[in-house]
Amino acid sequence: MKIRRLSILLLVVFIFSVLSAQAQDGATIPAAQCDAPGDLTLRVWDENWAKTVQTIVDKWVADYCPGANVTVNQVPWGQYWDLLKTDASSGDLPDVFNIIQAYGQEYINNDALLNLQPYLESAGIDPSLWGAGSVDPYRSAETQDVYATPLEWVTVAIFYNKDLFDAAGVPYPTADWTWDDFADAAAKLTDPANGVFGAAVYAQYQGGYGDWIASTGTPPVVTADHTTCTLQEPGSIEALSFLKDLLDKGYMPTVSQLGGTSADDEYNLFKSGKVAIYLNGAWKLPDTIRDVTFNWDIVQLPRNPTSGLSRPILHASAWAASANSDNPDLAANLVQFLVSDEGQKIFADAGGVAPGNPNPELQQTWIDSFGDTNVNIQAFVDASKDTQSATNFNGDAFNQATADLVINIFDLGVSVEDATAQACETMQPDLVPAS
Amino acid sequence: MATQTDLQSTWSPKYLLGRTPLSRRRALWGLALVAPNTLGLLFFFGIPVVLSFVTAFHEWNGIKPPIFNGLENFQTLLNDPKFWQALGNTLKLVLITVPIGTLLSLSIAILLNQRLHGRSFFRTLYFLPVVTSTVAASIVWAWIFQAHYGLLNNLLAGFGLLDLNWLTRPDLVLIPIAVVTIWQRVGFYMILFLAGLQNVPRSLYEAALIDGATRWQRFRYITVPMLSPTTFLIVVLSVIGSFQIFDQVFIMTARTAAGGVGGSATTLSYYLYQKGFVGGEFGYASAIGLAMFAMMLAVTIFQLRLQRRWVYYESTDG
Amino acid sequence: MAESTRRPARRLADAPEQVARREEFSPAMRWLIYGILIFGAIIMFLPFIWMVSSACKPQAEINIVPMTFIPQNVSCLQNVTELYENSEDFNRNLLNTAIMTIGRTLGQLITCSLAAYGFARFQFPGRSVLFALCLGLLMIPFQAILIPEYLLIRSLGWRNTFMALIVPGAFSVFALFLLRQAFLQIPLELEEAATIDGANPLQVLWYVTLPLSIPALAAFAVITIQAAWNDFLYPLVVANAEETRVVTIGISLLQGQRDTPWNLLMMGSLIATLPMLVLFVLLQRYFIEGVSMSGVKR
Repeated sequence: MKIRRLSILLLVVFIFSVLSAQAQDGATIPAAQCDAPGDLTLRVWDENWAKTVQTIVDKWVADYCPGANVTVNQVPWGQYWDLLKTDASSGDLPDVFNIIQAYGQEYINNDALLNLQPYLESAGIDPSLWGAGSVDPYRSAETQDVYATPLEWVTVAIFYNKDLFDAAGVPYPTADWTWDDFADAAAKLTDPANGVFGAAVYAQYQGGYGDWIASTGTPPVVTADHTTCTLQEPGSIEALSFLKDLLDKGYMPTVSQLGGTSADDEYNLFKSGKVAIYLNGAWKLPDTIRDVTFNWDIVQLPRNPTSGLSRPILHASAWAASANSDNPDLAANLVQFLVSDEGQKIFADAGGVAPGNPNPELQQTWIDSFGDTNVNIQAFVDASKDTQSATNFNGDAFNQATADLVINIFDLGVSVEDATAQACETMQPDLVPAS
Repeated sequence: MATQTDLQSTWSPKYLLGRTPLSRRRALWGLALVAPNTLGLLFFFGIPVVLSFVTAFHEWNGIKPPIFNGLENFQTLLNDPKFWQALGNTLKLVLITVPIGTLLSLSIAILLNQRLHGRSFFRTLYFLPVVTSTVAASIVWAWIFQAHYGLLNNLLAGFGLLDLNWLTRPDLVLIPIAVVTIWQRVGFYMILFLAGLQNVPRSLYEAALIDGATRWQRFRYITVPMLSPTTFLIVVLSVIGSFQIFDQVFIMTARTAAGGVGGSATTLSYYLYQKGFVGGEFGYASAIGLAMFAMMLAVTIFQLRLQRRWVYYESTDG
Repeated sequence: MAESTRRPARRLADAPEQVARREEFSPAMRWLIYGILIFGAIIMFLPFIWMVSSACKPQAEINIVPMTFIPQNVSCLQNVTELYENSEDFNRNLLNTAIMTIGRTLGQLITCSLAAYGFARFQFPGRSVLFALCLGLLMIPFQAILIPEYLLIRSLGWRNTFMALIVPGAFSVFALFLLRQAFLQIPLELEEAATIDGANPLQVLWYVTLPLSIPALAAFAVITIQAAWNDFLYPLVVANAEETRVVTIGISLLQGQRDTPWNLLMMGSLIATLPMLVLFVLLQRYFIEGVSMSGVKR
């Protein structure tokens, strides 16, 4: 056990030193005393984070800002963004709150977020330590100033049902398996008599078609600057055709058969033993560990035979502060503590998603938090070695285009060429005009 | 009665409230009685409505201050194919849900007004949709309509019918929405019809029986007219409600493609929400709201005019 | 059903009984009616049954395919405990909802019955205009006024107070419309008689009109209470703080970005639903036992 742990630690250190954009190993993010205590409001969407954050905040008040008072508020995910919008409209945003990259640019461009760059610089923190994939979506397009700091990273990997593999006589996948190996396995694992599908790996942007497109080396759906639709490029067509082919052969369920395109729909079928392989993120580990009754394991996404890439999409939620805050300095100080080594250690201990702070000890803490599971959680850390940063964003035309794309191809039988052409056309109003 | 000898005097301000002291006092009473509710409504809802209408002439993303842009939103609206699509979807839903919903709830109410065993029990069962959480309802209905594993397709398979993708096919998706809408409504309107049925005096039925009327005749010549105020109420509310269908679309299409593939399940309310809260165009969304208001107002005024033809009130002071 | 019994009643007093006898359905009709009712009832309560069954399932059994209605491991009590652990102060949420609901219903009862009476029985200048204005308010989609409504509440300083939850909800167009329709159906003679006896309009309303409108009032009560109890978006926007949080929000807080404990969610919904059901069962007899014109007892 000790040797295994040590090797994981070394591996993690090595990995983070080559993380796709100069993440510094051993980097520490310090916390600092606040200038003057005051009152702050803080908002999150995740009920587990709410509890963890309360602990972190208490520590901050005790060690770095006695006399400060923070009200932690949780708004459920389904209403979080509507409420945030309503608050923004009256200049009433909470002082510190969670944000995802789909909304990052919108809030930055409307001057709703506090510019954290000066605070980071005076604290001696180089934002590039978080890795471009995590922090760039939260930079202003013009000035490259950072307006929100990553608090976690998530990426996706393949979950598979070992019992079904055994029953079908298929060897377990290894980290360097290819798309062809995958197609083979899916074919052999499909068992119509028992209502079992080989795989369900297409439905979502992150945790579905987006990762397969990224593995061909093509930015999924749009370019990072949101100017061009990439769905008609050869890599996208290749990935989507590959997946559609598996669906047409009956190895994957249609959207209607899944019941929906959410990650949970695929998970529900996986949990019920109706799907042998599916794609999901590390956030599902606690539930899977608790609920699943059969033997299962995790492996990285298969490699594209041409490009040799296994490149899942990386996403990082972040802490932002309100530009209209009554206590901007205090808010920035709290944000700094939340992403510091100390603050993130509490976060890592709580399990769930991996902490954004790249300090390898923290990453190990995260892996350990799951206990003895016999499951290859390391695969997620391995997967983070080569990732595609998420390019999607929130816009009604964009959302409609991607949603329609999945259903057209994977439910209504529309050809890949037609569906991608239609999607590119639908999302036009939301694309940034190339200047 | 005031005489018409002096034409001018009928126009003086003294007669604003009424020509006789009695009618003036009644008018004052009337105003006093309606004041609390009306003032409350005008303040708490009228003001936001006015604000919303004003916003319709601006461009506003919800975060930065609004910018006046005249009739631009409305011009865009007229040329917006998605708006017309949403309007089409909404009208289809109105035409399906209002007649079916009204007839079903009327039938159920009449059946449950008869002397049958366990009718209290049945009434409670039919009321359940009104209190069932929309989340639970949408999950179960999504399952009922689900391909391959769902209840409905399994039943249809027994009759040799195909496995249909109810929630994704653009040509089918309005059906589950309509079904859930009607399902939620029946219990609600059943209550109103039951209350209305109670107001039909038994003496009328008895008199009809003495005259030898058949059950159908009693229904047609007593029940229907006496129920017509309730029916009118329900039809008006139902039309207004169906015009604003939102929850069902939101919840049932959230799992597949929000608003239906290519906007095939998008109703006007849902389009408003998409443009406002998702797309961040509150000015345009308010313009949609104003357009919806104008349409519903026109329809309701039409119905109010029409009511003289078919709605019967016990008292003539309508 | 044969119409051979189409002969007039012998005595007027016999009419009700003869009505009753003639109204008996033939057995075939009875079975058909029961069949229809039962089929309809199943469709009506299927989601509710799912709600109950999910409320008693452990997390592992939720949403498995194919859907099951009977849990293998019945865990109702565990879910209740877990619900109370996971959601802060569920009982407080229930209490807040009760306060809001009672406040709104009483408010509407007063304001709307007064206004309905005024519109139904009194002529005054601008009556149609005002009524049309009120009706017009029903026709604005709520999403369009959500933000202006919020800004109004905020400028009054009512954020996170019970005032915000109760006062705007104490006025209603729906109740106005419903009660006005009901009042219009009461014969004028009764009210005129009371007026001649010297009653002022308020007394007429209280002693004559309202008692004769019990079915409509019961309907109003059920619908209004139910609407207030299930209100979600508005309280979320204006009064989301712990002290004023209502139960609909409390339940939804269980829903996460990626994970939702459906079993706890359904247990919470079930607990929140029970008062409504009880209320309906109690009030529904007023839909049939209401005071009717001829006072014939069953």
